[in-house]
Amino acid sequence: MLFIGVSRKSFWPRLMASVSYGLPLLFIVLPLVSFLGYSFFRLENGNVSYTPSPINYVRFFADAIFIPVLWQTCLLCLAVSALTILFGYPVAFLLASLKDRRRHILLLLVLVPLLMSYIIKIYAIRSILGGNGLLNRFLVWTGLIDQPLTLFVFNLNAVLLSLTLLLIPFAILPIFLSLERIPTNLIDASTDLGASGLQTFMRIILPLSLPGIMSAATFVFVLAIGDFLTPQMVGGQSGFTFGRIIYSQFGTAFNWPFGAALSTILGIVVIAVIMLGNRLERSHT
Amino acid sequence: MMQLSRTALVLLSAITALVFAALYGPLLIPIISSFFNVAHGEVQWDSPSLSAYQALAHNQGILTAVRNTLIVGFTATFLALIIGTVLALHYCGGKSLARDVMHFTVFLPFLMPPIITGLSLLIFFRETGVPRSMLTVITGHTLFVLALAYRTIVMRLQSLGPSLIEASTDLGATPLQTFRHIVLPNLASTFIGAGVLSFALSFDETMITLLVTGTDNTLPIRLWAMMRLGFAPDINALAAIVLGLTVLLCLIAVRQLLPARAEQAE
Repeated sequence: MLFIGVSRKSFWPRLMASVSYGLPLLFIVLPLVSFLGYSFFRLENGNVSYTPSPINYVRFFADAIFIPVLWQTCLLCLAVSALTILFGYPVAFLLASLKDRRRHILLLLVLVPLLMSYIIKIYAIRSILGGNGLLNRFLVWTGLIDQPLTLFVFNLNAVLLSLTLLLIPFAILPIFLSLERIPTNLIDASTDLGASGLQTFMRIILPLSLPGIMSAATFVFVLAIGDFLTPQMVGGQSGFTFGRIIYSQFGTAFNWPFGAALSTILGIVVIAVIMLGNRLERSHT
Repeated sequence: MMQLSRTALVLLSAITALVFAALYGPLLIPIISSFFNVAHGEVQWDSPSLSAYQALAHNQGILTAVRNTLIVGFTATFLALIIGTVLALHYCGGKSLARDVMHFTVFLPFLMPPIITGLSLLIFFRETGVPRSMLTVITGHTLFVLALAYRTIVMRLQSLGPSLIEASTDLGATPLQTFRHIVLPNLASTFIGAGVLSFALSFDETMITLLVTGTDNTLPIRLWAMMRLGFAPDINALAAIVLGLTVLLCLIAVRQLLPARAEQAE
């Protein structure tokens, strides 16, 4: 673009090209390759042995712990996706039906939590959870329950609730964008032809917003499955997720090659989900 | 969009109110409790005080962490903008498979789960014998925010189109002159937008940092370490300050952006 009529062999274009290919190669491709390579190494007496073998992947499939945890984590993340869409859709719908100033303010209220520190949000949510947490105390105080519920102590339910709260803005935004793209004349036509509000919603708006729902689901799922901070903070003893197991390989278990293999499997799941999401999105447009 | 019936509007507003209460409610708790004394891990609601803020001011670890976060954030943003511009200019300079591969690769650290980006770097640094330090943290952050800065600059260059640059070349400007007088001024607003976003992302980045950090911890890592020990008054004070600053920055950004948007709408 910049170098019209200048030979590609002169200094500046060459420098730019070498930086453009060199930096990503050195800092993105090489680390990824060494990461993939590590997943085929093994740990011997606390040292990494550099003879390639599929032993880590064999362990993943042979050991009775890992596949159930991965499955449970996938179900958890699916539940998070479903909940964020269930609660996010009405917000997105209201947002799309508002005009000018009110819409800007509401949109801003959706965006502000995204800019807030993730770790502080987890900390805040953590303070309301727990057997003696504010949520339980509040429910007892209102008289809705007499005994503190065990529902929100530090377990998988707490992880589910926390992830839903953290990720709901990521569901609202794509749905809002898809709702906004629906041409008004389609809705006008439906109303003119005598459809009730509910009929118009079910037959016109909902089907046309499905791509937004799909991308919201993919987005939330991918973010939830990669998160190891939230389960670590609010999951307690029982709330084990796949991300937490990976992280523990680099901390307490100190088995880097196995951790790399587990992350590779996580990466494959993520790619599969993104591809599935794209396919579903396309089939609905 | 469609006109809502009264029932629908009330129902939607009720759900929206619930969602916002759930989003913002928990955040109020550390803010409110930061103004009260804490004894035996319990907030003493009957004794308001500013002791949490005093404790924070004397917490050397946190002050160092704030300094580290600022150093990392500014360095990563600066590097990402420079590298992003070089890469974007190269990408927009022609069409080739290599360019497309580069375009995709640069975006990978943003696309992949942060645990994979972090682990790749961790393993890479270990194998190349680079000790974990602030330098490795800066590398991780730069890669992460570069993905976004680069894409933003590419989009701006593409919307700029080739005609301005062609005109400049036709009039006899050297590539360097064209860059200084045509490209750079047109990218200025993009630099500000991408820079602010990059800094915000770097300020908050936790998962990659946690894996590549050495002893020079950034603020989220420091918070993470403190939070695992439990409920401490100075965390509340710090949370209150960070949340307050975020809201303030958002308000400033909106005041800056809203008039421009209103004009566009007309």
